[in-house]
Amino acid sequence: MASPVLADKPAVTPLPGRRRRPGSGRRDHVIGWLLIAPAVIYFVIFLLYPALAALYYSFTDWNLRSAPNWVGPANYFDLLFDDVRYPHFWKSIRVTLQYTLIAVPLTLVTALAQALLINTIRRGSNLFRLLLFLPVVTAEAAVGAIWRWLYDPQYGLVNSFLGLFGIPGQNWLNTPELVIPALSFIAAWQCGISMIIYLAGLKGIPDSIREAAIIDGAGPVQRFRRIVVPMLRPTTFYLLVTGVIAALQVFGLVYVIFSGGGGRSVTGGPEQSGLTYVLHLYLFAFRYDAMGAACAMSFILFLFIMIITALQFRFVKQEAS
Amino acid sequence: MRTAGKARLAPVYIALVLLAAISVIPFLWMLATSFKHGSDVYTKVPSLLPLDRKTGEWSPTLENYEHVLQVGGLGQAFLNSVWVCLILVPGKLLVDALAAYAFARIPFPGRDKLFVVLLAGMMVPTITLLVPRIHVTQALGMFDSGWGLILPNVASVLDIFLLRQFFMSLPGELEEAARIDGAGRMQIFWRIIIPLSKPVLAVVTITSFIFHWNDLVWPLVVLNDPELYTLPLALQQLASSESGRAYYIMAGAALAVIPVIVVLLIFQRRIMQGIAFTGLKS
Repeated sequence: MASPVLADKPAVTPLPGRRRRPGSGRRDHVIGWLLIAPAVIYFVIFLLYPALAALYYSFTDWNLRSAPNWVGPANYFDLLFDDVRYPHFWKSIRVTLQYTLIAVPLTLVTALAQALLINTIRRGSNLFRLLLFLPVVTAEAAVGAIWRWLYDPQYGLVNSFLGLFGIPGQNWLNTPELVIPALSFIAAWQCGISMIIYLAGLKGIPDSIREAAIIDGAGPVQRFRRIVVPMLRPTTFYLLVTGVIAALQVFGLVYVIFSGGGGRSVTGGPEQSGLTYVLHLYLFAFRYDAMGAACAMSFILFLFIMIITALQFRFVKQEAS
Repeated sequence: MRTAGKARLAPVYIALVLLAAISVIPFLWMLATSFKHGSDVYTKVPSLLPLDRKTGEWSPTLENYEHVLQVGGLGQAFLNSVWVCLILVPGKLLVDALAAYAFARIPFPGRDKLFVVLLAGMMVPTITLLVPRIHVTQALGMFDSGWGLILPNVASVLDIFLLRQFFMSLPGELEEAARIDGAGRMQIFWRIIIPLSKPVLAVVTITSFIFHWNDLVWPLVVLNDPELYTLPLALQQLASSESGRAYYIMAGAALAVIPVIVVLLIFQRRIMQGIAFTGLKS
């Protein structure tokens, strides 16, 4: 191709980017705008407008049947205080926070353990990395289907495995107290992305530090506590924040798991024990056509996520200074 | 580490084998169930192999796959998913790469401010956009259609960001030299930028294929016509309507899972690098 020939040229033009031939500037502007035009049109139609429209709808009583009427902040107040109209709003928040508090730490610990183990070995490390990554690329619809079958109270693999140790079988997805732990276990099963990012973090720890610690007589536990954990702090922090943001929005899996049997009757599991915030929102938007209320819910979530993100930046700044 | 010796690594390998087993056994269980005769599925002692429940002999069957492909509508859904990905993934890559190139390389007034606005748009949660996006899709006359699946997903700010980062890291001298030789911006894009960016283009393509092949939420809200269902949506429907027949559901799940696993096996190194890169960047 032409590139090897071209590669010889820079010597002639010592200031790349500075020398513009006259007249090329305005044409450049046009070309630049043309190239970003598709993306910008997309952005305006499918991102900017929907975001503003959602904000507007959240102050209306829009229900698809009639034109939206402005109702001010009524949706927000009703969601927070009217437990006749929205009996499960606070329940959905509790469920989501519970899930976040269990699933995120469980995922991070599993991912770190997997990364540490893989980082220790040489032979077969690619194979193990691949096998532990498989659950990540699996479609939510398939994950839900597979795990419903694994958790099957009578014929599922989970209960027969526990039976080997004399642990009595449970009806995992139909016992309110067990729903969140069961969902969290699936989340930890899918921890592959965090594992890969931890592995990259571990590779970033210089060998010299570890070797120096070994010479100084530090055992594996001490090395883990004094070197690995502190050096991985930025990674852990990043994974924690992104993990929390993702967990607050968990939807696909709970939708799939709790929509079987009755077709359209998604209820969010036994006694709403699996009714996550976004599932609750989805039901109001697409089952009960309460678009105004659903949009208000989505902005409460948005606000919450913004606060978490802002706190993260603050924390990072403190760390840096 | 050499001094550690092989014996000390034994517990590490044992732990890894156990973790890998937890990771993989659900897939083996899925496959085993999908190849079992209906009468062999519901047994007291579960089996990870398709065995006859009475004689214990090897007796796999393909009838579950035949059923879900033909009667269950998963054959049509599989083709729909293939079509959607064939149009959406390259289309999205083109839109994103063109925009990223301009953002990285072509200076024009307001460019960087615009880019910041785009990045800010990334913060809005998908669920917030979902309801109005449906409305926009209806207004454009694309609700419940193939284009309604494709167009609302045809660009990604995150991908533009990643491609821009990569384009900016390419040496500017090549381009400058090409310009002096009289090459236009588009020639430079196709002849220089694209060939030099194959690794990052591959990562973006693969991850976007996996994402859209697996996506459930958008098809769920935008489609009514079962003829148009994508594979995850059809699988979800099958899981509801055949909820007592695990062998059908697992055959359907296998159809959804296997193509992605094949892609993962082929491109595993690229995918892992891509995740480490994007993960640490953000």
